[in-house]
Amino acid sequence: MGKIIAIHSYKGGTGKTLMSINLATTLAAHGKKVALLDLDFRAPSLYAALKTNGTEYWLNDYLNNICEIKRAIIDLTEKYDFKNGGKFLVSLANPNTEAIRDMSAKDRKWEMRALGRLLALKNSLLNDMELDFIIFDTSPGLQYSSINAIVSADVVLVVTTQDTSDVQGTKRMIQELYDLFDKKALLLLNKTLFCTSSFEKEKETVTKQYEKTHNLPVLQVVPCYCDVLRAGGTLIFSKEKPDHPFTKILEEIATKIEKS
Amino acid sequence: MTAVLEKSQTRLLEKIKECLDKLNEKMEVFIELQKSEQKPDNILPGLPETLDVMTLLSLPDHLRKTAITLCKLGEATADEVAENTKRARAVESGYLNQLVLMGYLKKERRGRKTYFYVEK
Repeated sequence: MGKIIAIHSYKGGTGKTLMSINLATTLAAHGKKVALLDLDFRAPSLYAALKTNGTEYWLNDYLNNICEIKRAIIDLTEKYDFKNGGKFLVSLANPNTEAIRDMSAKDRKWEMRALGRLLALKNSLLNDMELDFIIFDTSPGLQYSSINAIVSADVVLVVTTQDTSDVQGTKRMIQELYDLFDKKALLLLNKTLFCTSSFEKEKETVTKQYEKTHNLPVLQVVPCYCDVLRAGGTLIFSKEKPDHPFTKILEEIATKIEKS
Repeated sequence: MTAVLEKSQTRLLEKIKECLDKLNEKMEVFIELQKSEQKPDNILPGLPETLDVMTLLSLPDHLRKTAITLCKLGEATADEVAENTKRARAVESGYLNQLVLMGYLKKERRGRKTYFYVEK
């Protein structure tokens, strides 16, 4: 059976959406069937990053019990020309201000039902549609939509940076959220700055340091690339920059996830 | 004649077993309540409460595990929950009934089995 992966972080701007899109497309390029879901209803970003023309039904509608998940999914497999069985499906959060306001004003009962509908994706997407991976691009921090996503996921990838407030917040979040839910979590160190040219050696030091701080395994250390920042979050590296070092790192992450 | 008698005896035995099962379940609830030092008088059975993620976070560890498992299964018997949590059936039955008393879960008897669920 397929897996649900939630990509989460304590702070905003750590690179969740960038990682979500690029991990999903790298897996699709490997021939996997992947659905990428934008669960950041307060700051929707997938619709802009993927330059889609909008959709009849949004992921909001699925959670509001207005439609089935199939109606809220767009198939971008052909747009990005994925071959050897790979599939790239997305479900978008509605970026209209009205919709954002509506999603921020939900009560506890609604959130409880939303959790039920997220948990039901295991059946509808992984079993019935036979997908290999569902990737949740979540909202940062501890709020209903991100905790619902974490509870429904099989694995959480925690994107973190060297920012002190991020390190401390992430540490607390691991102890007070992931541990309480018995969640399998892996660290993804993003935007890592390297002082010397001996990348491998420094990577080892940083990995040890973060594993000790957070008591979680580090899945990958991702250096800070100016090219990645310059792309403004719209590049699909596996397609558009196949030889870039960032693409190679994504390959490694995808391979590790496929094996886990 | 003997066949009829045997049949009614079997039925009687089944009925007794069913009553014992029910009694056992109630005992488990009381044991569980005593453990958590809550008196049944303080709890209004069936008062609906919302089992959202923030509530899940606030539950004690042992109940959280049971509650999340039931959220995932949608509807389940104590046996099915126990299979998932790898804890004993009697333990899960106690926890599930405590969650019912706290108002987070509902239960329904269908034939010989008792099903627990969050919401229909």
